[in-house]
Amino acid sequence: MSALSGPAQTGGVQPPTAMGLILSIVLIVVALALAFFLVQMVGVIALVGIIIGGVLIAFGVHFVPVGGAPAAMGQAPGIATGVAMLAAGAGLAGLFGGAWAAPFGLAVALAGGTIGGGLLMAITCTMVNVIYIFGMGIPAASGKVAKDPITGDTFPEYKSQGTEGHGLPFISWVGGVIGGALGGLGGTLIYLELLDVYQAQLPVILDVTVEQIAPVAISLAGIFAVGMFLMNAVLAAYNITGTIEGPHDPKFKRFPRAVIAAAAASAVAGIFAIALLELVGVF
Amino acid sequence: MEEIVFGIGITALAGALATVAGAAEDTESDIGSQGDPNSQVQLAPQMGYIHRIFNKAVAGEPPAYGLWVALGAGLAWAFMAMQINPILAIVLGSALAVFVQGVYATTAYLGRTASLAKFGQPVYIDILKSMTTVTMAHAFVAIFTTVAMCHLMIAALGHPFPLPLMGLVWGIALGAAGSATGNPFYGKERQYQEQKFGAGVPISASGNIVRYAEAGQRNSLDNGFFSAKLGGPASGICFGLIVFFELWRTVVFEELNIWGPIIVGIVVILVFAIIDRYIEVWARKNFGPYTAPEAPEEASS
Repeated sequence: MSALSGPAQTGGVQPPTAMGLILSIVLIVVALALAFFLVQMVGVIALVGIIIGGVLIAFGVHFVPVGGAPAAMGQAPGIATGVAMLAAGAGLAGLFGGAWAAPFGLAVALAGGTIGGGLLMAITCTMVNVIYIFGMGIPAASGKVAKDPITGDTFPEYKSQGTEGHGLPFISWVGGVIGGALGGLGGTLIYLELLDVYQAQLPVILDVTVEQIAPVAISLAGIFAVGMFLMNAVLAAYNITGTIEGPHDPKFKRFPRAVIAAAAASAVAGIFAIALLELVGVF
Repeated sequence: MEEIVFGIGITALAGALATVAGAAEDTESDIGSQGDPNSQVQLAPQMGYIHRIFNKAVAGEPPAYGLWVALGAGLAWAFMAMQINPILAIVLGSALAVFVQGVYATTAYLGRTASLAKFGQPVYIDILKSMTTVTMAHAFVAIFTTVAMCHLMIAALGHPFPLPLMGLVWGIALGAAGSATGNPFYGKERQYQEQKFGAGVPISASGNIVRYAEAGQRNSLDNGFFSAKLGGPASGICFGLIVFFELWRTVVFEELNIWGPIIVGIVVILVFAIIDRYIEVWARKNFGPYTAPEAPEEASS
């Protein structure tokens, strides 16, 4: 029999430890206090936005079906690339859309970022199946579940001998789009929060108009958003360890640990981004 | 109205540039074995299969292309600030970025292959001489088209990002699209050409990549020739569609309503969901369940 009938797969779920939890909460509280001390209430609001953005990214990465090297040989289901990399591609495409729509307000920009990330994943996942089916003649089969939770398709009989499955079942496609959308939303939220902070601070410090400072503010916010995106995506990738099929994979249940880690990491990185100008001013 | 027509023209041009970029990117990475199939190229000598495949992977495709395109875009941006004509600036920036790619490919091949010395894998200097320039040529096409596309988005469509940041964003997206679409075709269909068609490669066959060509030993130029037939163009279509739809929904529908691009984006995602589901069902019906080979025999090279 296949591995499907083996012992219940726990996916190596390890709940967050009490020590980790306390340390994360302390870090977040310290970062929030610093934000209030250095940039007042605006800083606290921006940091909360950044933490939410980071959490969304780390949570979203768990949805993305990534098969890594085994997927490139049709040995495991998913997309044949790295977890952090694929999520970054989708999230940054979302950031591109969100930044473009920024002048229309927070809601439109966030929706633009969400759809941008989802669109990249929708097209990529569809093309992955096109290559598997029309280039390699391989139908999709999951190795972790016997039945697709959405369509009800059964997989064991389609799975090639000696592999863990292959291709992208529909549930993985949906997971990919949700992951890309969450990544795009998180990345755009971080960008918009930082842009607000820089556009408020820079004109005062340099004594120029908001229009004159726009290119510098956009560049700074953009590069920090990209950096924080990669940081959270890599944290989530460490949590996943290797490959994941999507929301139906037992490994998906590991997400609480990544979410807490992402919140703490975003708070610490965020305080440097928000208080950048104050820190520069000190020297 | 005129502005929309102009925008659609730029969108089409950017989509076409992205298509070329995707195709060149995947072919470049397949010649250099940079994507995930690289694991097999690295594994083969350890399993006793000495080969003449180029091997330049140090980073995954997305960060590597993020670096090269951001570098090309940054240099082009600096040249433009020096009042150099944009087309010339983009060509110069891309050419300089390609030299970095060449250095990276050379050191990666030497380092990775030298690490396999204890398994008897030689460093072939002729491989280094003939393959590096070919990957550089493909990388130039990919970087130039992506930087040109980014410049169009800023200069003609008014995106607020500066060129180097835009290069980083689309470079990473280019690598993500190219590696996702192109890798399985190179990994399964080319490196494991001797395995059964229409089935995944059994894990027990790992490392047993095809090492001989029609005449003599196979090298990475043969692999580039193969993946340029389907993996490359499919990656190009993937990246082209991403760029086209991303721009098209904004350029055309933003004038009607600020929520227009978002609604159109959702519709496009749903259309792709239907296409994906249709081909998935089509494959299940036409290919049928997996049937084990009647007399399973050990694959030999």
